[in-house]
Amino acid sequence: MTAPPLEFVNVALPARRPQALSLTVPAHHTVAVLGDEASGVGALSGFALGLERPAAGSVKVFGTVIADLPERERLAFRRRVGYLPAGDGLLQNLSLRDNVALPLRFGSAAAPPEIEGRVNVMLAQVRLAPAAARRPAQASEEERRRAAFARAMAFDPGLLLLDQPFDGVTVRTAAELLEVARGGETAEGGRRTILVTGHELPEAIRRRVETVYRLSREGVLEPERA
Amino acid sequence: MIVPIARLGGSAARRLSRLGALARFGFGALRAGFALSAAGRRVAFRVTLNQIRFTAVNAVGLFVLLSGILSFLVISQLVRQLGTFGATDLIGTVIVVAIVREFGPLITALAVAGRSGTAISAELATNKVLGEVRALEAMGIDSRQYLVVPRLAAALVSVFALIVVFDVGAVAAGFLAASINGMTGTRYAETVLQSLGADDIWLTVAKAVAFGLIVGVVPCYFGLAARRSTTEIPIAVSRATVVALVGIFICSALFAAIV
Repeated sequence: MTAPPLEFVNVALPARRPQALSLTVPAHHTVAVLGDEASGVGALSGFALGLERPAAGSVKVFGTVIADLPERERLAFRRRVGYLPAGDGLLQNLSLRDNVALPLRFGSAAAPPEIEGRVNVMLAQVRLAPAAARRPAQASEEERRRAAFARAMAFDPGLLLLDQPFDGVTVRTAAELLEVARGGETAEGGRRTILVTGHELPEAIRRRVETVYRLSREGVLEPERA
Repeated sequence: MIVPIARLGGSAARRLSRLGALARFGFGALRAGFALSAAGRRVAFRVTLNQIRFTAVNAVGLFVLLSGILSFLVISQLVRQLGTFGATDLIGTVIVVAIVREFGPLITALAVAGRSGTAISAELATNKVLGEVRALEAMGIDSRQYLVVPRLAAALVSVFALIVVFDVGAVAAGFLAASINGMTGTRYAETVLQSLGADDIWLTVAKAVAFGLIVGVVPCYFGLAARRSTTEIPIAVSRATVVALVGIFICSALFAAIV
């Protein structure tokens, strides 16, 4: 039996909330966990990627606790997971194109022409090609968001972690970006497994998400819609 | 009585602890540099070239000006004063001892720390505060390999290159000053070359490495020590500048004591 792409097991959320969080994100599903800032929802992706460690419990990504891996392996493993941080995290001194290309140029063994080809495909997918030469400070909020999506998908990961991914974009753009992130449809759902975290989701996006959970300030996780 | 002594001890312990953290950070960066993959080396090399362009190439004019003015002033005074005692042959020794051995490396390192060290600490602190460093780590990119190693390599290359520029500029300006004050160019060149030994070259290389390490590591350490608030950026820049300047002076004094 294959391990689920993402599994939170009795994870203690920040600020010593009484309830430990357990959640399994099934393969090919898009799952959203919503909550306000005080709920600790913003810490989930960091725990999953091993950027921070929960005080108790563990987070398994494809059956592996990333935080337990030695440093080199931990960095290599993270390339199997796409991550879009809140506020996009684009490097300000690089163009949007270079931002998308950076993880591939740094972490891929492919030849430079192959990498540039892959970057062209990603830019076309998120409809960013005309603005790709701009730096983040010169780009609109929507263009930056598109670049951040393309960068998260650079390695064509099986799992995507998206923190507040639709802030600052229209519902129409959000729906379009979510479709690109899912990577096409299969019999089980999207080609990719996705965890979306944030404060709220527009109704049009909720319809494209398999499960929406609400995380309370006490750390209680309840499904909003099955 | 005990309380002030305990406070003094606590302060000294904190400083030592920070020095240890700085050394660990520096060694960690060097280790990360040796662990770069082929693809990582390509990216890091490109960033290093960009840093060298900013730190060294764009600053050549400034260093020629600084070295020229300093050397011109020193030699103009020396030629006049030493001429009254008939000791103008000492000019070469003074140029080599004062400028090539001491002031060249010292002023170069101070100027690079002031010009580029501040920029590095401000840039990395901004990277950290905006969540860019976290994003790099999340993408599987070792932030030390991408941010620190190229800046450290560029600082080593740039400090060495700018010391050479400074020394050459100083010797050339000294030539001009000596000529204006009645000393022949040939005599000036002879006295300088007689005073210049292989030890001076090795000392310059050793100082370039030591100062390059300080100018490269200290701003990166303090820049990346910023956390999540923009108010930490100027604090990081200020701390990095003070520690780098003090480190350069102490290091220079150690060289003078040892060699």
